[in-house]
Amino acid sequence: MTNTAAHTARPPLRLAMSSLLRADSIVLLNSKASMAISLLLPIAILVVTTFGKAQARLGGSSLIIGLALTLGLITSSLFGYTLTLAHDRELGVLQRLRVTPAPTWMIMASRLVVQVIANLIASVIVVIVGSIVHGLTLNAGQYALVLVVAVLGAAVFLAIGQAVVGLVKSTSAVNAISRLLMGLLIVLGLTGGTGLLGDTMKTIADWSPVGALMALFSDVLSQSPWSGQDTNSLLACVGYIIVFAFVGIRWFRWDSR
Amino acid sequence: MNSPAQSSVLDISDLCVAYSARTVVDGVSFQIQRGEIFGLLGPNGAGKTSTLSAIEGLVSPKSGRLLVDGIDVQQEPLDAKARLGVQLQSSSFQAELTIEQIAKLYGGLYGVQLSGEQIGASMRTIGLEQELGKRFKQLSGGQQQRLALFIATIHNPLLLLLDEPTAGLDPQSRRGLWRRIEELRGEGNSILLTTHSMEEAQAVCDRVAIIDHGVLLTVGEPSELIDKHRDDPRVLSVAHGAPTLEDVFIGLTGSEIRD
Repeated sequence: MTNTAAHTARPPLRLAMSSLLRADSIVLLNSKASMAISLLLPIAILVVTTFGKAQARLGGSSLIIGLALTLGLITSSLFGYTLTLAHDRELGVLQRLRVTPAPTWMIMASRLVVQVIANLIASVIVVIVGSIVHGLTLNAGQYALVLVVAVLGAAVFLAIGQAVVGLVKSTSAVNAISRLLMGLLIVLGLTGGTGLLGDTMKTIADWSPVGALMALFSDVLSQSPWSGQDTNSLLACVGYIIVFAFVGIRWFRWDSR
Repeated sequence: MNSPAQSSVLDISDLCVAYSARTVVDGVSFQIQRGEIFGLLGPNGAGKTSTLSAIEGLVSPKSGRLLVDGIDVQQEPLDAKARLGVQLQSSSFQAELTIEQIAKLYGGLYGVQLSGEQIGASMRTIGLEQELGKRFKQLSGGQQQRLALFIATIHNPLLLLLDEPTAGLDPQSRRGLWRRIEELRGEGNSILLTTHSMEEAQAVCDRVAIIDHGVLLTVGEPSELIDKHRDDPRVLSVAHGAPTLEDVFIGLTGSEIRD
């Protein structure tokens, strides 16, 4: 339609990737509800915890900002990436992309890159708001480390989201499971990690994705020296990424039928 | 790549497609020549879409060979896909993207960089110039279908695969699509389309194949098929007067309703 000679050449990878990145960014920017929730929830937590004794009960400002950052990552990964992927699969968007000469890894990579960048921007905003309302002063090195941990956290929750969408075909079931999962992770993060539910729950929470990330964020924000707990948290995060990414890729289906 | 002597843009040999233990395409072979419009006819569940899916690289065949312009679809899928234009039966574009954004995305994926002016001009030819800034989800069914065909031909493919392209369209839109298919053939494209409509097959296809239960029953020009099967008792038993292509189709595939 656009040129007279029949087209037979594979497109340049850079052109294909930049086209996907631009389209995925537009889709993400248009998903205002998802973006708003993933920013509003963490900021609401930051503000609410400035009242009364909440800050002390929840383990101090570093832990609270860590919790807010972690919840922001969960929300945007499970409601942004996972639901959009499930929805696009159901509508046939993924199959339509798959019949183009773009490699399939590129179709997924573009979505992941856009989501991680969005997570990083949201994380910086949350840290800035958190440091203002909780009176924390951060240096450039801490901001850089927060970004590193945010990338790790985004990878953890995107891998979990990928596993959900890999194992569950129905979009409405993915939606329900994501909500349930998010609720469980929030409860675990809010209560288990603080020790309010006892030592066993605290241990479980410490090793959970939320607990592990909160610990890393908290130690970065409070400039604590590297500890055995940090090593455990890092290993737990890497383990979650490997296991859930494997499940999500191995069982992922491009078609929901 | 084909030499000038080889004019097949699609060469399918003994194709078998199975989902778990269920074989849905069983030993299908046919060729499509340059500039040819080829129709694949069959009842629901006959194996039409599975055959197309194998060509498109959406499913891996159990056995058989698929060559697009001499390129093995299984060995070099991306090179084969670059030569194909595809309109899926139930395809969709990202609902949040506008027509212009969709055109830029798929142009980029096929290696065609389009300016806003070029996209606008193309949309004028398919009557979507007023909808350029609209999102995909805001378009009517007929508009979505016209956009899907535009995207399928955005890179001027050697072979265009259309899976039931006129399903759900009103008569005006259907005739418009037939005209567009004829134009595309005039531009040198080959077209493989699946359809339930015998009227459509006779109106636009140079040759048709009838498939049922995954097996290719017959191949030829519509008039040839009528001549070939006019004395078949199965065809005569369903014909009202002189046999038509629909009589041949029902005679060969049976009268029972398929879901």
